[in-house]
Amino acid sequence: MTAGLVLIVGGAAAGVFGSLLGLGGGVLIVPLLTLGFGLPLREAVAVSLVSVIVTSSASAGVYLQRHVANLRLGMVLELFTATGALVGGLVAFMLSERVLAGLFAALLTWVAISMIRRKDPPSVPVAQTRTPVAPPEPDLERPEPELEAATAGTLAEGAGVAAPAAPAPDAAAPPPSFADSLSGPGYHVGRFPLGIVGSLFAGLVSALLGVGGGIVKVPVMNLVMGVPLKVSTATSNVMIGITATSSAVIYLLRGEIDPYVTGPTVLGVFVGASFGSRIAGRVDARVLRWLFVVVLIYTAFEMARKALGL
Amino acid sequence: MSGSAGRRPGVDAAPGIETVVARLLTVGTYLAIGLVLVGVVGMLRDGIAPLDHVAFPPFDLRQIPAEMLALEPAGFLWAGIVLVMCLPIGRVIVAGFGFLRVGDRRLALVSAGVVLVVFASIAAAIGLGG
Repeated sequence: MTAGLVLIVGGAAAGVFGSLLGLGGGVLIVPLLTLGFGLPLREAVAVSLVSVIVTSSASAGVYLQRHVANLRLGMVLELFTATGALVGGLVAFMLSERVLAGLFAALLTWVAISMIRRKDPPSVPVAQTRTPVAPPEPDLERPEPELEAATAGTLAEGAGVAAPAAPAPDAAAPPPSFADSLSGPGYHVGRFPLGIVGSLFAGLVSALLGVGGGIVKVPVMNLVMGVPLKVSTATSNVMIGITATSSAVIYLLRGEIDPYVTGPTVLGVFVGASFGSRIAGRVDARVLRWLFVVVLIYTAFEMARKALGL
Repeated sequence: MSGSAGRRPGVDAAPGIETVVARLLTVGTYLAIGLVLVGVVGMLRDGIAPLDHVAFPPFDLRQIPAEMLALEPAGFLWAGIVLVMCLPIGRVIVAGFGFLRVGDRRLALVSAGVVLVVFASIAAAIGLGG
């Protein structure tokens, strides 16, 4: 009984941190389950994927309701993230736990560096009228002009990235291409082939390491394809569900999902993420971020030790 | 999403489709979390310790209704987990039909492709002895 409660609390902690820092939660759940609770890495990845789908579905509902996400672009790109996840889900069973731990250590290091490099957003008061189903990103309720800058500062995946929104196509432009039809108000989607490659890679990373893959998707959409950061973040969240599902079904059918670990963890993550989004405006994100960087570096070190068999 | 010249049926209809999909995801997430909550309460009631690293109940879709009727925690947990995984697939299917309805065949085809990839995952897992 105690272990179930410990998992709920651990999941909730991951959910709160993930929500406050704009992470899906997978980066925190996998180390928690492996280093904290001694679960095999592959099993932890499977649990994390289910948790990631829950937070993605919850936040995607909010993003889509508010028409912040670009559903059309997301659906096209997720065709490729899902394909990458399918490949990753199969490859994950061919790799040893030590290799996976090494890859995870590299991912954690990258996230830590991204967090160190990113700029702090200006302090902006946050309205406290959140919906019951909370998105992982805590900044959705900010007034529109501030939202862009604030999201740039709190989303690890888009660390240090300004939003280089490309100019909208002229009304008298030639007939719209397929990429044009994926563009949104005020921006034009470009460099589609690179977006496809990035999406395939995002899916692969997601399936191998049990994360949402937003760490790849958001920069690809924002920096490479010219989608504003706010839209990139929201669209990435919508895509994460199908990306994670494509590999989670492989873990499920291969008997890697333990319902007794998954249930309490998912519950905790959901409650934690909802709570995190409600308190986001009252927490000093800078202090939290630096604390989190320390945790990430320590976790990366422990994962690296696991990978090296030390 | 409007504002460009020419016919853009899927683009113009996207906000409406997004609203429907948003409702599906929101309601579905609550339902899934509800099922998981019932399962977790059952675990606590039965004194199941998840971190003992003993064998856990295997996934068998056909057994879930019977386990739920018998008030076994595993049945509710599996039902919640399966529903969680069905939500994104349902979202793609609903959106696909929405785009088809407004005459955006390309996006409808993309939706079908995404669903196909997920089914390919299932087939691959089964084929590899899952």
